[in-house]
Amino acid sequence: MRVIDIARKNLSRRKWRLIFNLVGISISVAILVSTSVISHVMRAKVEEEIDKLGANIVVTPKYEVVSVSYGSIIVGESTIQENLIEKIYTIPNSANIAIVSPKLYGLAPYGNGSLLIVGILPENERMLKGWWRINGFLPESNRDQALVGSAVASSLGLSLGVALVVNGMQLTVTGILNETGSIDDFSVFIPLDVAQRMLNKPGVVSVIDVAALCKNCPVELIAQQIMDAIPEVKATPIKQAIHMRMEVTSRLSNLSLLLASTLLIVSCVFIMNTMLASIYERMREIGIFMSMGADDANIRRIFMLESLILGGIGGFLGVGLGLILSLFINPIIMNISITVEDVLYNAEWLSVIPLSIAISLLVCFIASLYPAWKASTVDPVEALRGGM
Amino acid sequence: MIVLKNVSKIYGKSPQVVALHNVTMEVKKGEFLAVMGPSGSGKSTLLYIIGGLLTPTKGEVLINGVSIYKLNSRERAKLRQEKIGFIFQTFELIPYLTALENVMVPLCFSKIPNSKHEEKAIKALNLVGLTNRASHKPSELSGGEQQRVSIARAIVNDPSILLADEPTGNLDQKTGAEIMHLIKRLNEEKGITVILVTHDPSKARFADKVAVLIDGQIMKIERLRNMGGKSLRDKSGNRKQLLECA
Repeated sequence: MRVIDIARKNLSRRKWRLIFNLVGISISVAILVSTSVISHVMRAKVEEEIDKLGANIVVTPKYEVVSVSYGSIIVGESTIQENLIEKIYTIPNSANIAIVSPKLYGLAPYGNGSLLIVGILPENERMLKGWWRINGFLPESNRDQALVGSAVASSLGLSLGVALVVNGMQLTVTGILNETGSIDDFSVFIPLDVAQRMLNKPGVVSVIDVAALCKNCPVELIAQQIMDAIPEVKATPIKQAIHMRMEVTSRLSNLSLLLASTLLIVSCVFIMNTMLASIYERMREIGIFMSMGADDANIRRIFMLESLILGGIGGFLGVGLGLILSLFINPIIMNISITVEDVLYNAEWLSVIPLSIAISLLVCFIASLYPAWKASTVDPVEALRGGM
Repeated sequence: MIVLKNVSKIYGKSPQVVALHNVTMEVKKGEFLAVMGPSGSGKSTLLYIIGGLLTPTKGEVLINGVSIYKLNSRERAKLRQEKIGFIFQTFELIPYLTALENVMVPLCFSKIPNSKHEEKAIKALNLVGLTNRASHKPSELSGGEQQRVSIARAIVNDPSILLADEPTGNLDQKTGAEIMHLIKRLNEEKGITVILVTHDPSKARFADKVAVLIDGQIMKIERLRNMGGKSLRDKSGNRKQLLECA
């Protein structure tokens, strides 16, 4: 028989106390685990969705002269030679580049005012802006067709198939964008080559939007590589959207971590309390052990082992419960849909399992320190006589 | 083998309670000493001091020439582990362990390899005649059986000293006598030095020597020639008187 057997047998003697202790620890560990799994999975999902969020790198000419505001991006009169676009595909991380969408902006006279003309490669722009909802069709390359923003369509009374004469060129409206709430609502999208002709800017673009999938590489690195490949341009990473999502995820997981740590501290105090109470109950036992040759270290070991057994079992139960929580209950509470596949395919959270068990063991170890020390300082004679 | 030199134990500061006062005595290897005295006379205090569990206020306790209170607490624990076995009036078995496991407890704290624990415990249980009750919890055993288990536990480490604190106090006359015979047998056959604390003259008769303790002082130490309860009744009046005064 070993000291651990004494600890184990004493624990199993008081089943309800054991169960209460285990419930406390495993709930704390479960919250810890489910939080970590969910934040891991959510982070992975956000990274996967980057391409759906639009461009994350904007390539502009290096030297701006006059600026035109386009959303949050300032576009100048300077342009980029169209033939430089190819060089983007020569960067070391070219495999991470999902979409390259060059654009030419310009104001074209229309009636008494002017219209914001955006020359695009229609298919590329469509891929970049996954949220676009189009009535009708995209314009085709090299055809005098236009996709108009909702505000333009309503203010000019445009409908599908009608002709729109801009700067002396007749465009057919093939598509009308549903409202996007962005500058797109006020733009007229036409094929890039048509725009170059209309605005008299052959072979140039104003800006190149790049969508890079950067699950394993920083977007800053890709931006830098583009600038190295094309010295004439400035590549700016846009991180706002992703950061926002990431921030929400991390705030959510921070909140749950706070909750889990609070619960762990509470269970730590609970364990410490029950252990201290049990020392008073087990006074004689401690005295007997001492009379039989147990030294202070042996006594401490009995109490610490009891606590570590609790921590170990509680940790394992908590991990199981946490995985169930993250799959079935948390998605309901937090309104996040997480499937079994999400959890299985994002195996990065696996490190959470040993970590949670280690935390559980550590908490229980800390909880046992004072009671174990207290037990080891018991006066054996007083203990055998039944007092403290 | 066991030497006490001017051992005193005083409890409290004011008022002071003198539990032992200048006790000097010697117990030789293999000897059986009974310590008698009324309750509160300091018998148990003396036993705990000899067992290394209670530091005396003054004086020295030597076991095999080693002054045990000059050792640190871990060294003293090791000494108890290897050389001393305790038996108590209320048996003091661990309620959640079986008889066999209870006997194994002292081995847990020793350097003896785990694989030998069971074998040693069964041997000790066999010596007290309780192998058939090995898997029973203390609550399922009679008082006499519990005390046998506690004796097996006390001797499982092959100690050279057995300290018994009123071991028959909670047993009926017949069972008490059986326990005394068992202790006597361990003393004679295994050569274990026994110090027995009792206030019952019929149990003290099993000893080689009787020390009478009154108010923390040794009043008399007398050697009894012929051991074994009944025979002593026929001995000299002087010896009877000694036992009666206790």
